[in-house]
Amino acid sequence: MTDPHIDLPQGTLDLLILRTLALEPQHGWAISERVQQISSDVLRIQQGSLYPALHRLERRGWIKAAWGTSENNRRAKYYELTRSGKKQLEVETESWRKLTVAVAQILESM
Amino acid sequence: MFNDLRIRLRSFFRKATAEAELKDELRFHLDSEIEKYKRTGMSDEEAKRCARLAFGGEEQVKQDCRDARGTRMVETVIQDLHYGLRSMRKNPGFFAIASLTLALGIGASIAVFSLVNAILLKPLPYPNAGQVVMVWRQGPLAGIGDMPFSPGEYSILARSATTFQNLGAFKKDSFNLTGVGDAELLEGVRVTAGFFPTLGVTPGLGRTFTEKEDQAGREHVVVLSNRLWRSRFGADPGIVGKTVHLNGSSYSVIGVMPPSFLFPNQEGIPPILDLPRETQLWVPLALPANPRGANELGVIGQLKPGGSLAGVEQDLKIFEAVRERQIPQEKGWSSRAVPLMRQTASDARLPLLLLLGAVSVVLLVACANVAGLTLNRSLGRHRELTLRGALGAVRSRIVQQLMTESLILAFIGGGLGILLAEVSLLVVRHFASGAIPHLHETGLDLRVIAFAAGVTLATGLLFGLAPAMGATRMNMAEALKAGGQRSGGSSTAPKMRNALIIVQVAMAMVLVIAAGLLVRTFYSMLRADSGFDATRVVTFELPLPAPKYADTARMADLYRQVLLRLQSIPSVRGAGFASVVPMGGAPDGTVIRMPEHPPANSSEKPFANYAFISPGYFAAIGAPLLRGRDVNDADTLNAVPVTIINAAMARKFFPGEDPIGKQVGVGLTRIPLRTIVGVVADTKQASLREQSDPEMFVPAMQNEIKTWPSMQTMQFAVRTKIDDASIAESVRQAVHTVDSDLPVAKFSTLTTLVDISMTADRFSVILVGALGALALILASVGMYGVISYSVLQRMPEIGLRMALGAKRSQIFAMILSNGGRLAIAGVAIGLIAGLAATRLMARFLYGVQPTDPFTFAAVSFLLILVALLACYLPARRAMKLDPMIVLRYE
Repeated sequence: MTDPHIDLPQGTLDLLILRTLALEPQHGWAISERVQQISSDVLRIQQGSLYPALHRLERRGWIKAAWGTSENNRRAKYYELTRSGKKQLEVETESWRKLTVAVAQILESM
Repeated sequence: MFNDLRIRLRSFFRKATAEAELKDELRFHLDSEIEKYKRTGMSDEEAKRCARLAFGGEEQVKQDCRDARGTRMVETVIQDLHYGLRSMRKNPGFFAIASLTLALGIGASIAVFSLVNAILLKPLPYPNAGQVVMVWRQGPLAGIGDMPFSPGEYSILARSATTFQNLGAFKKDSFNLTGVGDAELLEGVRVTAGFFPTLGVTPGLGRTFTEKEDQAGREHVVVLSNRLWRSRFGADPGIVGKTVHLNGSSYSVIGVMPPSFLFPNQEGIPPILDLPRETQLWVPLALPANPRGANELGVIGQLKPGGSLAGVEQDLKIFEAVRERQIPQEKGWSSRAVPLMRQTASDARLPLLLLLGAVSVVLLVACANVAGLTLNRSLGRHRELTLRGALGAVRSRIVQQLMTESLILAFIGGGLGILLAEVSLLVVRHFASGAIPHLHETGLDLRVIAFAAGVTLATGLLFGLAPAMGATRMNMAEALKAGGQRSGGSSTAPKMRNALIIVQVAMAMVLVIAAGLLVRTFYSMLRADSGFDATRVVTFELPLPAPKYADTARMADLYRQVLLRLQSIPSVRGAGFASVVPMGGAPDGTVIRMPEHPPANSSEKPFANYAFISPGYFAAIGAPLLRGRDVNDADTLNAVPVTIINAAMARKFFPGEDPIGKQVGVGLTRIPLRTIVGVVADTKQASLREQSDPEMFVPAMQNEIKTWPSMQTMQFAVRTKIDDASIAESVRQAVHTVDSDLPVAKFSTLTTLVDISMTADRFSVILVGALGALALILASVGMYGVISYSVLQRMPEIGLRMALGAKRSQIFAMILSNGGRLAIAGVAIGLIAGLAATRLMARFLYGVQPTDPFTFAAVSFLLILVALLACYLPARRAMKLDPMIVLRYE
C-alpha cells in the first residue's frame, strides 16, 4: 500500500508554520492547506498537532495572534510572524539546510 | 520570557475568554474543512464525518493546546494547594505539631543568622570600611601579641608609608566636662587629622579637624558624639561654634558625629590598646614634630585605590627598616595590618560559629522530626494514595502533591519562625547587650528575610522528599490485594522512620554533650581560684585632670589623702588602690631586668606586668600574701625601693628559690633596682579563665619618675564590714572633701565586674543549652510519635500474643526495648559524632576536656532515660489492650 503522504519528521512542523507565515498572516486552516498545496500534497500536517504547535509558538513569542475576518466573512484567528519569529525562522532554516546537506552526503557516500 | 509569563497568566486568570477563543478557533477550522469536503460534492453528513476524522479527538486537541499555553502547571499547583489546605483542616493535630516543630527549628536558625548577619556580614557604618586596615606592631618576645604604636614610631610610619591614602592614629583620654550641669568624666579619644578621612565618615553637624588644628596650641576644638550631644546639650542644632570646658580649658565645638559612628571602642580590640567602652568625644592628638611616649596609639590606614594587603605588608617592612636605623636598640620588631572588618569582629566570631553549628543541628532534628510525622501520616493515607495510583495518577504527580503539602507546612512554620526569631532576639538583646558587638543592629533586613525564605524552602524539601518517595514506592497489585487491612505501607517506610529517629537521637546527643561541656566550663570558671574575694568590695576609678595634677608626687599625695578619708568611713574594713583592680582592665607591662638572673642570650628580654599599689590594697581585695610583707607607709621615696611580685612571677623567674630579698627593676638601667619584699597570690585580671602573667607591684608613693601618665588614673577597692547601701554616697563625700572637682568614675561592686567579665560565657551556655534542650525535646517527641504509631499498627499482633498467653509485663518490655534499641543506636552514633564535634570546641572550654568522660556518660544516660520515658506511654497503652476487643475488631 503506497500512501502518497508522508508524516512530518520531528521538529519540522514549527519550521513549516514559520515559513508559511513569513509570506503573510494566516489562520490555522489556511496554514495546513498551504503546506499541503505547496508540497504537492506530499506533506500533510496532522491537524491535531497544528493548533498546540501554534499556541506553543505564540507563547514563545515567535508569532502573535489577532482576530480578523476570513474570505467567507467569518471571524477567524490570524497568526503573524513577529520580529523574533523572523530571526528564529532564519536560524531554523539554516540548521535544516545543514542537516539535509549532511544527511545527503552520508547517503551518497555509501 | 515576559511573553511566556503573560500568556501563561492570561490563560490562567482569563480562563473563560481563553477557552471561548480556543473553541471558536477550532470550530472555524472544522467548518472550513467541512466546506472543503462539500465542494468536492460530498453530502453534509459525509463532509462532517470526514472533517472530524481528519481532525482527531477535539477534546484531546483542546487539552494539548492548553498544555502548550502552559496553564496546566499553574492549575495543578492551585489544585494541590486547595487539597493540601483541606487535608490539613481535617488533621489539625498533626498540622499543629508539625508546624510548631518547624517554627522552633526555623525560628532558632533565623535568630542566630540575624546575629551572624549583624556581626559578621554587615559592613561597618563607615564609607571606607572595606579599605581600612588597623596596623599593629609585634615585638621580638613570643606570646605578647599585637602592640600599639608609640608616637615616635607612628611619625616614622606616617613619613615612610606609601601605600596609604590616609593614615590616622588615636588614643584614649578622659575629659572632665564642667560648666554644663554636674561635672562629668567623659571618655574620649585624641586623634590625628587623618583619622576621620581614613574612615571616610562625614559629621552630622559641622566639620572634623583640619591639619592645622592637629598642632600643639591649636588643638582646642572638639567633635561630639551624637549621644553626648543629645544627653548633655539637648540636641542643640546651634551647638557648632559654642564653647565647652574640658579638664578646665575651653574647647570650641566644631562638629557632631552621626549616631552610627562609634569608632573607636573596645569591640574586637585587644586590651593592650586601652580604648573607651563608648567614645563620647574626639579631640586633636596634636603630636609634636619629634614625639616621644609609650606604645599607646591605635593606627588605622586607608588603602589607596587598588591597593592590597600584600602591598601594605611590603610597606610595613620598609617602615621597620627605617625605624631600626633610627632606633637601633629595638631589634626584631615587625608590623602587621588587619582589615578593620576582621579586627572588630574577631572576638565575637568564634562563639557565633559555635551557635551557627548548634542551630543547624536543631534545624536538622526538626526536619527529621517532621519527616517522621509526615511519613506516618502518609502511611495512614496509604489506601487513598493506592486508589489514586490505581485510577491512573502517575507517581510523580502524587509526589508533587505530597511535596506541595510539605511546602505549605514549611511556609507556615517559616512564618511562625520569623515571629519566634523576633521574640528571641528581644530576649537575647535584653540579656546580652554589651557582651556582643553590634548586637543592637540585629533585626530583619533583606538578607535575613532571604535567608529565612531559603531555609524554609530547604526544610520543606528536606522533610518532604523522603516521606513522599517512601510513601509512594509501592507495588500497586500488592497494595490492592492487601485491601482493607490496616497493615501495609512499603517495607522501606518503617526502616526510614527508624533511621530518622536514630538520626534525631544522635544529633540531639551531640548538642546536649556540647551544652554539657559548656556548663562544666562555666562551673569551672566559677570555682576557679580568682585570687581575690569579691564579697562586699566596691571599686571605682579616680582620674586626675592633667593640668592640675602634673607631677607624680602630687598625684600620689592626693591618692593617699583620699585613701585616708575612705579608711575613716565607719563601715569600711579596708581600702586600697592600684593601677587596675581585678576585672578593671588590662595592666601595663614592661621589660624587666634581674641582675641575679641575667637572660641566657641578650635578645631574650623578660617581660612582666607592672602596676602601682597602695598599702592595704591586697587586704582590701582579699588577695593573700604568700610570703614576706605588704608595702607600708614607710616605703617612701627616701626609703629602699621595694616591690611585691605575684606567684606567677616567682614561679617563672625564681623557680625553686626564695625571691624575697632578690633584685628586680624595669628595663631602663637609669631607674634603680627594687628589692622584692613579698609574694602575693595570682589574681585574675581580665577573665576568670585566664592564666596569670608575671606581675610586679610597686608602691605608688615610691615612684621616682616625675611624670608618668599611668599614674593619672587609679582604681580604688573598698571592702566594707557589712552590706552598706550608702557606701556610694560615703565614697563620693570622701573624694569631694579632698577635691570637690574630682569625678568618681565607674563606681561598681567587684561582684558586678566579675559578672560582666563572664557575660560572653554565660551567653554561650544559655544559648547552646537552650538549643540542646530544644533538640532533646524534639527528639523525644519524635520518638514518642514513632513508637505510639508502631503500637497502633501492631495492635492485632499484640492482641494475638496476649490471647496466646503473653504476660502484660512482657508486652510492656517488648515495646520499651523496641524504643530502647533505637535510642541505643542513636546514642552510639551520637557518641562517635560527639567525639569528633567537641574537638572543635576546645577553645571554648576551661577546666574540662573536650572528651570529658563524665559529660559523655551522663548525657548518654540522660538520652536513654528520655527515650524510655518517651516510650513509656505507648508501652503502657499496649499493655492495657484488651485482646478480645482487638481481635474482634480485626
